[in-house]
Amino acid sequence: MNGSPAVELSGVSREFDVSRPWLARVVAGEPRRYLTAVKDVTFAIERAETFGLVGESGSGKTTVARMVVGLLPPSEGRVRIDGVSLTDPGSAAARQRFRRRIHMVFQDPYASLNPRWRIERIIAEPIRAFGLARSNEEVADRVDELLSLVGLHSGDRFRFPHEFSGGQRQRVAIARALASSAELIVCDEPTSALDVSVQAQILNLMRDLQDRFELTYLLISHDLAVVRHMADRIAVMYLGRVVEIGDGRTLFQSPRHPYTRLLLNAVPDVSTRGRPDAEIAGEIPSPIDPPPGCAFHPRCPLAFDRCRREVPALLDGVACHAVHEETVAA
Amino acid sequence: MLSIRDLRVEFAMRRGVLTAIDGVSFDIGRGEVLGVVGESGAGKSVTGAAIIGLVDPPGRVADGEIRLGGERIDGLSEDEMRAVRGRRIGMIFQDPLTSLNPLFSVGDQLVETMRSHLDLTAGEARRRALALLVEVGIPAAEERIGAYPHEFSGGMRQRVVIALALCAEPELVIADEPTTALDVSVQAQILALIKRLCRDRGTAVMLVTHDMGVVANTADRVAVMYAGRLAEIGPVSDLIDQPLHPYAVGLMGAIPSLDQDARRLVQIPGTMPRLSAIPGGCAFHPRCPQAFERCAARRPPLVAKDGRTVACHLYDGSAEAAR
Repeated sequence: MNGSPAVELSGVSREFDVSRPWLARVVAGEPRRYLTAVKDVTFAIERAETFGLVGESGSGKTTVARMVVGLLPPSEGRVRIDGVSLTDPGSAAARQRFRRRIHMVFQDPYASLNPRWRIERIIAEPIRAFGLARSNEEVADRVDELLSLVGLHSGDRFRFPHEFSGGQRQRVAIARALASSAELIVCDEPTSALDVSVQAQILNLMRDLQDRFELTYLLISHDLAVVRHMADRIAVMYLGRVVEIGDGRTLFQSPRHPYTRLLLNAVPDVSTRGRPDAEIAGEIPSPIDPPPGCAFHPRCPLAFDRCRREVPALLDGVACHAVHEETVAA
Repeated sequence: MLSIRDLRVEFAMRRGVLTAIDGVSFDIGRGEVLGVVGESGAGKSVTGAAIIGLVDPPGRVADGEIRLGGERIDGLSEDEMRAVRGRRIGMIFQDPLTSLNPLFSVGDQLVETMRSHLDLTAGEARRRALALLVEVGIPAAEERIGAYPHEFSGGMRQRVVIALALCAEPELVIADEPTTALDVSVQAQILALIKRLCRDRGTAVMLVTHDMGVVANTADRVAVMYAGRLAEIGPVSDLIDQPLHPYAVGLMGAIPSLDQDARRLVQIPGTMPRLSAIPGGCAFHPRCPQAFERCAARRPPLVAKDGRTVACHLYDGSAEAAR
């Protein structure tokens, strides 16, 4: 433990090779093609904080999550967990220590639990893998404790995942994340597959566990209301870049980037009834061939010449030429 | 326009008869949007399927009546029903890719649908198809009319599906989770489009969704369903600001909102019952914070209260009688 943030991303980019197979490419004389899923993303997550990442499909949220947990190496830039880089060749031993402290909860609770394992084995796996218990009795005690923490019964340990509802499965996934005493939990759309009343139960549970164990969450969701409810700080992504970042309440009350404004205008919410229908044009362009300059300029009401040429830098929490120039002028 | 009375849908299973829809009644007027909300298993989609006569065996409409424009449409033969579907009732489903035929261009699909329901020549149908594509906001419609479904993005595909649903000028459109597969910015466009087109043509819309936010911004009235029954039905603003039924109250509290700072969300204990084990009396009573004896014993009837209709013993006078 030291003073560094729980997670630190500096200039992280990730490309995927989406070229056609070698022969087809050579016959057609095509070059290799790359998709830039994440470009130059920099942010830090403090301990015991909930950091929300929002954006529409194709904005790169999930790729960021996968790089944070180490499932994907970044093409450029660095991901540091507790100040130690996951990709440094020299820090294998340190990496092993950090591995235990990061866990991920996935969107689909039907696909993320092994259907042939009993709940006990699923939850005990991290305990055994990291050698956190000395005997089988100790493992069993720990599983019991975890089940009661997430609101399941001790008897549920002998059941299989298919015997549970979606919400209960998500509880199992959270218990598994806590099994290795993880400090950072990356939640990728944890409640998207659940009904609202079940979603409320899971979000409340996540809050309670955070208070109790000082957990750090990286919460990824396309549902702005969920992120608003849970997150202390929020980053908005568009086509692989962070366009705005800031304190949750400020960002929602006075959004600055035109895309954030568009997004907030578009969300149907019970509190925005009777609002005139927002006029929003266009859809997200393909990430294989993003527009030059600011990727948002073809849909942006404020776009001017400079936006078509120059990628705006993330200054003072917002990446937009129009906002920057206004600030300078004022 | 559409009027449903005491609808009951049953599924005859090996282990007994499951009642998926039990005594549902509602009306939708011309140009009105009725939102039907509820969690998974509440019976929203089955209600929609029953109206268009697409409840698959072993399910069947066991009781009640469905009237469209005053005329009964339940119990029609398969051939008669086919003439109603597409012509008098249009449908928009969640996944636009499965509602379009991948082997035909969108223009051909529109022309074919129109010609099978309306008396049009090929040339007239083509002109109307083009006009419709322009109306639903397909850019460069003249070039895109010959394109195949896979050449469109998700939002554009859903626009084509809307054009297809409206091409025979139906009286009623059933939209079952029309925007669930789309991103928020596209969702807003599609909802505005459905609203505008139906208002202009006086088409009634039944909007089935699990998203209260969508209903709040699109519907005129809302029906809340629970375990195959109606819990509450009324104007959208009343129901959202002051829900009466305890289930509706819980549902509203469970939704995180953009302009609040609640530390915790309201939690409804337990989960929706299975169809094979719907509790006696009021189906919601085991989870209801305000349940009393009568709730377990008798099923509450739908009663009028403050401009709404609600099925709860708290409002039918029996709560005072019990005290």
